[in-house]
Amino acid sequence: MTAVIQAALNGAMMGAMYGLTALGLTLIFGVMKVVNFAHGSLLMVGMFSAYWLIRLTGIHPYLALVIVPPVLFVFGYYLQDVVIKPVFKAEGQVREPLTVIIVTTGVWYVLDNLALMLFGAEYRTVRTAISNKSFALGEFIISIPKFSGFVVAVATAVGLALFMRKTKTGKALRATSLDREAANLMGINQYRIYNIAFGLGTAIAGIAGCVLIPFYYVYPSVGVVFDIRAFIIVVLGGLGSIPGALLGGLVIGLIESVFSQFMASTWTEAIIYAIFLIILFVKPSGFFGHKQDW
Amino acid sequence: MKNGSITTILAGCMGMALSAALFAAPALAADKTVKIGNVEPLSGPSASVGVQGKQAREMAIEEINAAGGIKSLGGAKLELVYADSKSDPTVGVTETERLINTEKVNLMTGCWNSAVTYPATQVAERYGIPFVVPVAVRDTITERGFKNVFRIAAKDSWWVRDQFRFLKDMQEETGVKLQKIAFVFENGDWGTGFAEKWRELAKKDGYEVVLDEPYPSTATDLTPVVTKLKAAKPDIVMLVSNAADAILLTNTMAEMQVKPKVVLASGGGHADPKFLENTDTNALGIFDEVEWNTDVNKPAAKPANEKFKKKYGYDLTGESVDAYVAMYVIADALERAASTEPAKIRDALAATNLTTGPGMVVSYDGVQFDETGQNKNAGIVIVQVANVDGKPDRVTVWPKAARRAGYVPAFPANK
Repeated sequence: MTAVIQAALNGAMMGAMYGLTALGLTLIFGVMKVVNFAHGSLLMVGMFSAYWLIRLTGIHPYLALVIVPPVLFVFGYYLQDVVIKPVFKAEGQVREPLTVIIVTTGVWYVLDNLALMLFGAEYRTVRTAISNKSFALGEFIISIPKFSGFVVAVATAVGLALFMRKTKTGKALRATSLDREAANLMGINQYRIYNIAFGLGTAIAGIAGCVLIPFYYVYPSVGVVFDIRAFIIVVLGGLGSIPGALLGGLVIGLIESVFSQFMASTWTEAIIYAIFLIILFVKPSGFFGHKQDW
Repeated sequence: MKNGSITTILAGCMGMALSAALFAAPALAADKTVKIGNVEPLSGPSASVGVQGKQAREMAIEEINAAGGIKSLGGAKLELVYADSKSDPTVGVTETERLINTEKVNLMTGCWNSAVTYPATQVAERYGIPFVVPVAVRDTITERGFKNVFRIAAKDSWWVRDQFRFLKDMQEETGVKLQKIAFVFENGDWGTGFAEKWRELAKKDGYEVVLDEPYPSTATDLTPVVTKLKAAKPDIVMLVSNAADAILLTNTMAEMQVKPKVVLASGGGHADPKFLENTDTNALGIFDEVEWNTDVNKPAAKPANEKFKKKYGYDLTGESVDAYVAMYVIADALERAASTEPAKIRDALAATNLTTGPGMVVSYDGVQFDETGQNKNAGIVIVQVANVDGKPDRVTVWPKAARRAGYVPAFPANK
């Protein structure tokens, strides 16, 4: 029983971080109706940014949390503005712009290979003040980097939800996500909103990078590992739904951790995909998704 | 016209005779070479290992030639003819055919990848060309009743055999008795192959298996595996991991305070240069099985490694050591064969008993082939990660004859 509770605690912490990686993906999809295949690469950029910042300056990993995300916001903002927008405009009348998806795939390859050229294929970790530190909760051991990651993930999701509800920009994002033509007519600059959405998604990937780097290693194609999970989580939680991403992440994390206490851990992978398929059959819109009618 | 052509032919013949008289004799004496065909992965996924092997061979050839070549052949020089396999079995086969038929090599060596070596040795066997395999560990390469295939390195099943020998020896040496054993391995060909043999030997040696856990090496989180390990409370944990998961497992075990008495890895990820860099003190005490280590207690090892490092900028690896030794085994056989006749080289190779000379940098005592062509003495070393000059480093601990002078292994590592 102890092992199961311990596994559940780990699963919840890891799951929240999976949710965090999915958050940016779901936000960009919600607003732009684009499946961003470059999301994993943006996470990789976030991890490398955090890695180099901590490695070179020796600052506390959580100080990186106030530096890396704003930088990545600017990066994402201009990535959308310069690379994706022109393609989007060319397909302006199409509801689900397919070429844009292909462009994001191109961005994925370019970023991964740039990282490969610059940093090589090896695995890198930074040893920080909190690496491999843990505290005891009764008889259970809680990893400090993972627990902090959990807190940051929940805070980011709550913060993002509040931002979407309370601020003018947030409302504009939501309006665009509901109906971009109508939003346009109401005086919202659609492409500026896209820039912001993409920037926010990238910034969240930066947050994820900062909380992952104290215990996980980074290498140029690290994004792929998280990407697959992020896609499953986004579908599980409902496309475009913020609480859905968090809950989806928790579900995946718990399955992965708890189920593997009863069977070989190679099986949990299969179970996750099976659940993904079942959800697609039973409730294609996910836990919190709306029926898509755009 | 007719006359003219006859004259030309005559002149040509005379010229050939003249040049033969003038140049052939000295050419035989000094410039005679023994051609050795070498198929290696010089591009593609395993290129780095292929290049390491190539450089080690070149160093050995330079030394052998500088020392006067093959004396029984009038000081004949060794010449390597390289072919790139790209790690592709098909390419390996066609290149072996080409080296034998077009390049007319006297013998063959290579090919590092088991998958390439397996069919390439088959081609050489058909032509009756001797094939010296430095390192391709699949058991079956020397288990097909071939007469011309000789392997220097230990085969797959010996790796596991030596892991259990090590455990037994260390328990006898220290008087500590260990009982419960856990297997944790990546679920690929390599890991599952090891696990199969582990189970057999663990049963034979009377261990109690408390965990038998495959895991996907692409896993983002290995905490579930470590949680299981914590609950199983093993004395010994045996591991097969690639680089990324070896790092993650080691760090997660430190974080979750899982400290088995003995952690024994199987090379691969744990032997990766990046492993210690990313785990640092968390890796202290871990035992790892490797083909070779820079500190093996052998007189020839240190100078060879220093020379190699000066030449190419990095330490010799297990693979390159085997390639290096192979060149000396070939030179030794040629010396005794006193012929470039493949059949005679083959017989000389079969009678090899090399125990001394600059080639003996290996951890074991000598090269001697059994009737299948496998080096009987081939062995593996076990290293322990220990604090050396304030930095975690690998120290050879087993076999005892190769142990770093003055080092007392920490066994069990965690009491």
